[in-house]
This record gives sequence, structure tokens and C-alpha cells, in this order.
Amino acid sequence: MSPELIIALISGAALFGVGIYGALSQTNLVMIMMGIELILAGAMVNLVAFWRYLHPDVAAGQMFVLIIMTVMAIEMAVGFAVAIARFRAIGSVEMEEATELKG
Amino acid sequence: MTTVLILLLLAIGAYFVAVLEAWVSKGRFQLAAPLFAAIALLGRESILPRKPDRLFFEVGPVLLLLSALLAAAVIPLTPNLIITDLATGALFINAAMVYVLVALLMAGWGPDGAYGMIGGWRFLGQLIAYAMLIVMPLTAVAMRAESLVTTQIVVSQAGLWNIIYQPLGFVLFFIASMALAFLPPFDMMIAKGELAGGVEAEYTGMRLAVFRLGRLVLIITLASAIVIFYLGGWQGSGLPPWAWSAVKILLVTAGMLLAGRFMPRIREAHLLYWCWILGIPLALANIFIVGILVLEFP
Amino acid sequence: MTAQMFFIGFFGLAGVWFGIVVFRTYSMVRSALALLFSQTALGAMFLSMQAEFLGVLQIMMMATEMSIMAIFMVMFMMDPGGLGEMDMTHQKRLSLGVGITAFVSAVAVAVFVDWGPLATTAPDAVQQTADLGLELLGRSMLIFETAGVTILTAMIAATAVAIQPVKKASCHES
Repeated sequence: MSPELIIALISGAALFGVGIYGALSQTNLVMIMMGIELILAGAMVNLVAFWRYLHPDVAAGQMFVLIIMTVMAIEMAVGFAVAIARFRAIGSVEMEEATELKG
Repeated sequence: MTTVLILLLLAIGAYFVAVLEAWVSKGRFQLAAPLFAAIALLGRESILPRKPDRLFFEVGPVLLLLSALLAAAVIPLTPNLIITDLATGALFINAAMVYVLVALLMAGWGPDGAYGMIGGWRFLGQLIAYAMLIVMPLTAVAMRAESLVTTQIVVSQAGLWNIIYQPLGFVLFFIASMALAFLPPFDMMIAKGELAGGVEAEYTGMRLAVFRLGRLVLIITLASAIVIFYLGGWQGSGLPPWAWSAVKILLVTAGMLLAGRFMPRIREAHLLYWCWILGIPLALANIFIVGILVLEFP
Repeated sequence: MTAQMFFIGFFGLAGVWFGIVVFRTYSMVRSALALLFSQTALGAMFLSMQAEFLGVLQIMMMATEMSIMAIFMVMFMMDPGGLGEMDMTHQKRLSLGVGITAFVSAVAVAVFVDWGPLATTAPDAVQQTADLGLELLGRSMLIFETAGVTILTAMIAATAVAIQPVKKASCHES
């Protein structure tokens, strides 16, 4: 059995791990969003690998990847709008200072 | 073999674009002027900024040249002369062109200078304006051809060229191409009188030569893209196909260089306003009209 | 070791390496552009897995998106050049632990599950694009219409959130 699927899945897993590390360890909203982009990219790699090596005749696999790309774009747009609004209100987008609803 | 031939033709084409640009802006037709200017640039001193971001400073101009060359890889000059006939050729041209943006961002941020940086971010502001105006007319063209393969797109115009079939798309794509190649009146980012040269300001010597060469190759690649998408590529009666391609590409290049000579520079804020409020509804209307035409007159 | 295996491994490694550079570098613009090149490497990986449309689309879209992210970083972050070498992280060990746990469990699933016989050939690229188009407008049309409406809503919401409130005395501004 050729290891191409395993190589692709390991790459997807590594991207997912790096993305989670970034999303949890960064304090700035923009850097957290970059971590989320990496998580979604890892999921896309896994999906394309599954499409190519398990069901290459089914076009719905590729369609799912298109949906994820769309979701990435939408979430970036809304996230940056929220960042702009927060920057105008407070003057920074550091998530450490976002303690208004705490306790 | 095909690759070498196309690269050679691109180099000759870029040389002619340089001659045309000098003719249009200075009024004199000197065939040897670009050659001497290039040799002079290569010989000049390379002044390095004080604390550049070394990686971006070096990679910026090279990436500009590379992205223009990559876009030229899917453009057919004759039915057999194409480097790689990708199944998604029209989309690939777009993908390669977006790296012009990345290259200019790097070239603006790298030298650690204020004017260059503002020039680079201005290019990003402009690209947000016309990014849709480049993709949507291509959608209409691909609708008529029922394929994204570039040779197929040219063959589909055998009866009627796309410039007559979809004139609205042609105008939008032409304007967007001029803005992507940062020709006047969209040349805010290398404006000589405005930002002391903008993105070009911090580059001297050999890197400036690579930057300028990249820009010339970009202009001719965009002109060839306009020719194959809207003007029927190599089709025509009388001359052999390669001659038709050459004539059309040179005419389109001359048109692109001349079209904005007498207009003031357009600020990216105004360009954003006009492109998003007027340009995108027109592009959507173009897709709608072409859809109806394709269904009615197969 | 076939060519496809080599390219998938190479581009996967490049994607992961650029992803790590995103969080290790101090310069913010380098971080954004490293993410851009990571996504480009993934797009090239899609191309080497013969998903041509997806690969080209990924390369094109991610270049634009990450460039916009670059300018947002310059707008919102404190040290975009990175020469101050500030450390802007918190709960480092927790996040490193969670990241490594996620990676190890995903790799364990990938290695120990029996995926069955692998398909050796994929349809031709022109055929794939045509199939994808027919799938989009045929069986999955509802999904894409919903996605389109969602994008429109997101655009309107993002503009409404980000726009500056109009002050009452400014009726003569251009």
C-alpha cells in the first residue's frame, strides 16, 4: 500500500497542530486568526487527500473544499470587521484586555 | 524547446514595449535606447538602504518577473506554441497575476523607506478595487467557450471575436489590466512626482533593472491575455498565425500605453469608489447578458 | 518513491515549515507573508494531488487574503517591523501541549486506521472541472445558494460593523 495518503494526512495533522498552538498561545486577534487559517488549511489538505485516494470520482469531495474556502474568506472578513470596531473603541486588539464580561 | 522560444519572444516583446513606452512618453522613436539604458543601469552603483528587510528587498523584483513569466506560460501564441496547456488556464493567469501584488508588497516593505512602503500599500488598495473586474469578465469569456483551457477559448471565437460579443467585458478587462500593470493613470505606486518614485524609489542598479524588466514582461503578458480572451488570438486571414498574434499584441500594448496619457492620476480611493459602485454591477450585467446570448445563439 | 509522493511530502513540509515560521518570527509582515507562502505550498500540494482547479483557486485566493491580512497587521499590531523583539504570547506550555496532543492523535488515527485500497488514478483535469461545475449547479445548488447568501450577509454585516457612525453635524462633508 503506497504511503501517499499517510504523508498527506500527517501534513494535515501537523498544520492542525501548529494552528491550534498559534490560536491558543497568541494574544493579538490578528495572530489568533492566522492560527485559525492554519487549522482550516489542515482540514482542507485532509479532505483533498481523502478525495484523491479514496473516492476520486465523486465531485462532492472537491465541493466540500470549496465550501471551506468560502468559510475561510467569510470568517476573515467578519473577524477583521470586529477587529476594526474594537480598535476604534479601545485602541488595541489585544485579547488579554478583553475582560469586560469576566466574572 | 517551446519554452526557450516563448521566453525569447517575450524578451523581444518586452524590448518593443520599452521602445513604445519611450516613444509615447518622450516623443522620440529610438530603437537602441532601452539597450543602452539597461547597460547603464547594470553598471550603476547599487545603493543599499540602511536597515532593509533583506529577504523581501531581494525577492520583491524577482518575484515580479517570475509571476509575469508564470502567467505567460499558459498563453498560446499559435495553436501549437504554448508552454503548458493547463486545464484551468484562464484561472491560472489570474493566480499568477495576484503574485504581482505580493511582489510589490515585498518591494515596498523591504527597503524600510516611507515612500516605498506607501507605494506598496497603495497597490494593495488598487488591487482590491479591480480584482473583481479582472475575474468577472473572464467568467463571461469562459461561459462562451464552455471551458477554461486557453486554446479552447481562442477556438471558440472563430465566428465572432469576443470584443464584439462582449464589449462591456472587454472595456472592464482592459481598464483592470492597465491598473494591474500600473500604467498611467493608475500608476500611483511608482508616481514620479507624487511619491518620489514610490516602490521604485529605493531600488538602484541591477535590482532596478530586474524591476523594470518585470514590469515590461507584465505589460506584454497582460496584452497577450487581452488578445487571446477578446481579440481572437491567432485567428485572421492573410497573415500566418504568429504574425497575427504579434500584430495584435503590439497594437493592444500601444493602446494600453496611450490610453491614459492625458488623464490625471486616479487616487486609489476614487478608483475603489468607481470600481465597486459602477464596475462590479457592470461586470455582473455582462455575465448576465453573455449568459442570455450563449443560450440564444449557440 | 514516485514523483507524486515526493512532491506531496515536499510541499507538505514546506507548508508546515512556513506555518511554524508564522509564529516564531518577530516581524509581523514576515509572519503574514509566511502564512501566504504556507498556503501557496498547500495549493501546490493540491496540484500535485491532481486537484487542479482547487490548487489554482487556493493559490489565487490565499494570495489576496493574506496580503489583506498583512495590511491589517501593520494597522493593528504594535511592532510590525519586529525589531523590538517583543514576546506576545501567553499560556505557552498549555497551548504547546494541546497542539502536540492534537497532532499525535491525528497521526495515530491516520496511521492505525485501515483505509482500504487506494485509488490509483484520478479523472482528467478537464473532466474534473466539468464534473465540479455540474455538481455545483446540480446536486449541491442549495448549498451554494446558501453559501452565497451567507457571504452577502457577512459582507453587509462586516461593512456595518466597521463603518464609522455618521455624526449629526456633518451634513456638508463630501
